[in-house]
Amino acid sequence: MITRFSHTTLYVLDQEKAYDFYVNKLGFKVNTDATMGNGYRWLTVNPPEQPDLEVVLMAVLHESMVKSDACPDGLDQESRDAFKVLLEKGILGAGVMYTNDCRATYEELKAKGVQFKGEPREQFYGIEAVMFDGCGNWFSVTQPKEM
Amino acid sequence: MQLTTDIYQRIAAAKVFIDQNYHESIDLDRISRQALLSRFHFHRLFTRIYKKTPHQYVTQTRVEAAKLLLAKEGISITEVCSMIGFESLGSFSSLFSKQNGYSPQYYRNIAWLKKKLAKEQPRRFIPHCFIEQYKIDGSPADV
Repeated sequence: MITRFSHTTLYVLDQEKAYDFYVNKLGFKVNTDATMGNGYRWLTVNPPEQPDLEVVLMAVLHESMVKSDACPDGLDQESRDAFKVLLEKGILGAGVMYTNDCRATYEELKAKGVQFKGEPREQFYGIEAVMFDGCGNWFSVTQPKEM
Repeated sequence: MQLTTDIYQRIAAAKVFIDQNYHESIDLDRISRQALLSRFHFHRLFTRIYKKTPHQYVTQTRVEAAKLLLAKEGISITEVCSMIGFESLGSFSSLFSKQNGYSPQYYRNIAWLKKKLAKEQPRRFIPHCFIEQYKIDGSPADV
């Protein structure tokens, strides 16, 4: 029986920019920040109240991930191009992050320069605003309706 | 009662002010002025929105900032204490221990050990499937 997520991946174009967004703006905690001998940076963060979930901020276009004899399961050029296009358009991600107060979080993050698709709106499941991480992904910021 | 957008903006501005100035001597007077609200009104609204008092939030922000600084090298614990706005090392250590269940020195030892391991043996921190799929550590195909 599968019990829980331990790791999930967010593909990003720029890890420094992703670090700034998730750590400095959203308040995620750095879990692991290790650089390999080939320069690849393994960077994972935890959501503020989920220390057991590692979100891998993966620099998907790093040269070490290119398909080659040494890396037969790596990304071929077509896949790399596809990732680049999708990330530059900001249409990956599509996750949901919970907050205790969507309107307060919206105003706070907007004051910190985070881009939103629009203002918070009432939905049947709660209050929601859609934000962009500026690294290729978007998320719903949801305040779930109290049952 | 539904709060107005204006109130949300004021309270959020005060929270951002704390995030940016936690290392200074900030009290409720100074924080509530950022929101252009009376101390009483601000305290009530902040606590309602964030489920913790402004004082609790300032303390939490300082302790989290302390963790980042403790993980760095070349800064003494006394320096960390003053960099995050505490005047007494004793009160900082005591509060840090109470909130986390371990002392600043213990936290530092663990953070440094993890950093050392991440530098010397980064593969220990990466699920093998990632290494096998993408060779992100530059290992040869047959490893």
